[in-house]
Amino acid sequence: MSVDEPGPHVDADGCGGNAAPYVLGALTEQESETFRRHVESCAVCREEVAALKLVADALPAAVPQLHASPELKRRVMSSVREDARLREAREVHEARETRRSARESARTARAESPLGRLLDGLRPRWQAGLAMGGVAAAAVAVAVVALGSSSGRAGTRVIDAQVLVAHARATLSVSGGHAELSVADMPQPGAGRVYEVWRERSGTPQPTDALFSVTTGGNATVSVPGGVSGVHEVLVTSEPQGGSRVPTRSPVIVARLS
Amino acid sequence: MRAMFRAQRSTSDSPSAGALSVLADEELMQLVYRGQAEAFEVIYDRHADAAFSLAYRMCGQRALAEDVVQEGFLSLWRSGAHYDRARGSVRSWVLGIVHNRAIDALRRRTVRDRGRVSGEGIEERVASPERIDVEVARRDEAREVRDALEQLPDEQSRVIELAFFGGLTHVQIASMLDTPVGTVKGRMRLGLAKMRMALGDPAEVCNEC
Repeated sequence: MSVDEPGPHVDADGCGGNAAPYVLGALTEQESETFRRHVESCAVCREEVAALKLVADALPAAVPQLHASPELKRRVMSSVREDARLREAREVHEARETRRSARESARTARAESPLGRLLDGLRPRWQAGLAMGGVAAAAVAVAVVALGSSSGRAGTRVIDAQVLVAHARATLSVSGGHAELSVADMPQPGAGRVYEVWRERSGTPQPTDALFSVTTGGNATVSVPGGVSGVHEVLVTSEPQGGSRVPTRSPVIVARLS
Repeated sequence: MRAMFRAQRSTSDSPSAGALSVLADEELMQLVYRGQAEAFEVIYDRHADAAFSLAYRMCGQRALAEDVVQEGFLSLWRSGAHYDRARGSVRSWVLGIVHNRAIDALRRRTVRDRGRVSGEGIEERVASPERIDVEVARRDEAREVRDALEQLPDEQSRVIELAFFGGLTHVQIASMLDTPVGTVKGRMRLGLAKMRMALGDPAEVCNEC
């Protein structure tokens, strides 16, 4: 049935009656979900929705066209680039872990075979032949194994931060030396102000270039620039627009790493 | 050394900005899905103005509209895998996300906050960095859609505008207009059906946009 023809499914009180408010976004969330499930099993309503949705999709063209501000692009792309950097770091970390696992599996398999045991017996003498010395080579081998184990245990650590704002929450996700701070239900930093992320080493907060505001829902996600190796705490303060070199206010978020 | 390697790999794996700018939205979305921020930036540049225009028309406040657009684009970036080209153009998908976010934002606001529009010095854009032919097609489409909307009987265009741009539910509209809910739904449907006839097939109007 076409939307141009009357019929039982297009009666406002029938099932087709919800197609128009559905494509216009005029159903409540619950009504939308119920209708969406209905559409999956009703070919008539599916056709009705498809036809009306083409018109609804064209409606945004009717509004006066404005320019989005460069500041908005800066905010969006800053989050996107941080996400991309974290994703790349995670992929590098996972690839390293995969290679390490493969090496360990191969080493285990070799150790369990007679030929492998023979080769392992010869290996220290071969390494010594590379002018490193048997003891030094063993020390290097131990150090490499220890680093691999530490990296493997780390994974992603999620730290609940202390938030000094009522009802707000914050978590710090740490993975491979990189950290990402997520906040929820935070108030806006105030007119002419911005939240600034700090890294605290040896009792001294070091400024970062991570400045952020929050959405109307109070949400934001921001990477901690420079990672968190050797960092004891990640802090957030409210600072004047553009950020500060030293904190001008007490922290509103404190995430302790050690 | 490792950082240098990563930078080199990144450069050789990523098409240049010039090469990206000639790709279709659907091709760019494949790169976005693989985490390429440069491809996402091209998508943003192409559709941010339309997204902001829609959000501003709905929210009436620059700050809220910008929040809505930011949330919409970040959700798009983080769920690029959910784009299904069978369901329409990337532009429709982007604007659909922003529309839904704006509705959420509007429904969170109190009635008292509604309707605070403009007065922020936002001017309609007069120039566009886009290709002239694309821009001309979009202006033509805009005029056709506005004409189709204006030609509707008032009671039909009103319920469509209150729903789509005002973020009101059909029940709220019925209450506001003191009209039965079934009548409101019928007007919405009749109005959309008439617009569809006036526009021909909207998919053909802006398939490339």
